[in-house]
Amino acid sequence: MASSSITPLNLSSSFSSRPILSPSTITSLGAATRRQEKRPRAATVKAMGGGGGGGAKYKGTKMREARLREIIEEKVAEAKEACEGEAAASAECRVAWDEVEEASQAKAHLRLKLEVLRQDPLESFCGDNPETDECHVFDGDEE
Amino acid sequence: MMTKRGGVIVQNHPSSPCVLICSATGGSGSDDTLVIGLAADSGCGKSTFMRRLTSVFGGGAGPPKGGNPDSNTLISDTTTVICLDDYHALDRTGRKEKGVTALDPRANDFDLMYEQVKALKEGKAVEKPIYNHITGHLDPPELIVPPKILVIEGLHPMFDPRVRDLLDFSIYLDISNDVKFAWKIQRDMAERGHSLESIKASIEARKPDFDAYIDPQKQYADAVIEVLLTQLIPDDNEGKVLRVKLIMKEGVKYFKPVYLFDEGSTISWVPCGRKLTCSYPGINFFYSPDTYFGHEVSVLEMDGQFDRLNELIYVESHLSNLSTKFYGEITQQMLKHSDFPGSNNGTGLFQTIIGLKIRDLLEQIVATKTGAPLEAAKA
Repeated sequence: MASSSITPLNLSSSFSSRPILSPSTITSLGAATRRQEKRPRAATVKAMGGGGGGGAKYKGTKMREARLREIIEEKVAEAKEACEGEAAASAECRVAWDEVEEASQAKAHLRLKLEVLRQDPLESFCGDNPETDECHVFDGDEE
Repeated sequence: MMTKRGGVIVQNHPSSPCVLICSATGGSGSDDTLVIGLAADSGCGKSTFMRRLTSVFGGGAGPPKGGNPDSNTLISDTTTVICLDDYHALDRTGRKEKGVTALDPRANDFDLMYEQVKALKEGKAVEKPIYNHITGHLDPPELIVPPKILVIEGLHPMFDPRVRDLLDFSIYLDISNDVKFAWKIQRDMAERGHSLESIKASIEARKPDFDAYIDPQKQYADAVIEVLLTQLIPDDNEGKVLRVKLIMKEGVKYFKPVYLFDEGSTISWVPCGRKLTCSYPGINFFYSPDTYFGHEVSVLEMDGQFDRLNELIYVESHLSNLSTKFYGEITQQMLKHSDFPGSNNGTGLFQTIIGLKIRDLLEQIVATKTGAPLEAAKA
C-alpha cells in the first residue's frame, strides 16, 4: 500500500480517523524497553517480599505463582544433581533441565499476562465462582 | 455470532456455553478454517505475537470462558490459538520415566494432532486435551469449535508431514543462541533458584534435542523471523537492541513478500539522516533476494530500534507490499501494543506485518472461491 516515492513527512498530519493518534500517544516507543529493564529488578524485590508478582488479583493465581516459583527452585536443584560428573550427557540430565525450562516458561508467561496484559487467568472462572477459596481477592498488602 | 458454513448454521460465540456442533460439510467449501502454524521454543502463550496477530482482525483475545482456568487456548472473535503442548502423549512424569524431553517427538501424539487439526479445518468441533503446565498432568479435554482462523503454536507444528499439509501458512521464530541466552537471563535471573550457570546449563542441555527435532522445521516455513544480536553496537550481547530478519519464501500462493524500494534488488538503507533524526544506535535496513534451504526467498532485515513515532511512520512509508488497508496501519498496530516487548524493533514490526499478510491471505482465498462474503464481524 505504501508508495515507493520518498515523501516528506509531517508529524502533525493524521493518517486515520481513529483517535489512537492523539498527542498523548506520541510517546517514546522505548517505553517497552524501559519497562523490560525495570521488570527483573521489580520482580526481585517482590520475590523477596514473599507474595506474588505484580498484578495477581485472585488467591488462586497467587498460589500458582508461588507453586511455579517452588517448582523452579526444586527442579534446578534436581537438575544440578542429575547432571553431576559422568551423568552430564545422560537423558536424565537433559530431562531435568527441560523441566526447569518448562516451569520457567510457565512462570514467565504468567508474569507477562499479569504485568503487561493485565489479565488474571482466573478472571472468567472467578466471575462464575466468586465464593470459592481460589477466588478470594487480595487488597493492599494482605497475604 | 452465527456463521454459515456450507448451509449449516454454527454458533461459535466464544463465550456461549451452548455450542451447536456443526455437522460434517466436507472440506472443500469456501468456509474452510484457515490454519496457521507457528513454531517457536518459548512455550505457549507467545501472547504478544498472538495478540498482535489477533488484533489485526480486531477484538481482544482471551482464554476460553467458563472452562479450565489452566487452559492454554486463546480465543478471539475470529481466531482460536491452540497450544501444541496439549498433544503431549507423555505428561511430566511420563517423560521423566521414559527419559525424553518435551522437544522429543516421542513425547507427542502426532496422530491426535493431525486428526483434530484436520477435523477443525473441515468444520468439526473437537474435544482437545489440556496439558497443565503447573501440575504437569493432562487435564480433561475442552471443546474447541472451528474458528475462522486456527493457529497452532508450539514446538512441532511442522514436524509431522500430514499436519504440515494442513497448514495454509507457517511461521518459524528463529532465535539465535546469543539472543536466547540474553533473553533467558532477562527472564529468569529474578527467579529464586536460577543463576547465570543454571540458565546456561538449561540451554546447553536442551540444545541436542532442539537441533535434532525443532530447528529442522524452519526449512518448511513460509516465513521465518530470525532474531540476532545487533551489529550496530560493537560487542553488545545484552540482546536489547536486535537485528531481525524476515525471511519470506517466494512463490507461496496468496503471499506477496514485503520489499524495499525495488522488488528483487538488493538494498541497504539507513533512514536516519537529514530528514529523519534518530537516537543512538539508529536503524539500518537491508533487503535482498536469497536462497534458504534450497528455496528462493526475499529477506528484509532491520537492525536497531524505533525511538519515536515519526521513525516508525517514516519506515512504514518506504516499505512496499505491506498489505495494509490504509497508510499508517502498521504504525497504528504497533502503537496499540506499545507495551509489548519488541514494539520498538524488528520483532514487533515483522510480527505485525505477518499479521497483515495472514489477513491478506484469508481475504484472497475467500475472494477466489465461490464469492461468499466474509461474514464475521470485524472491529
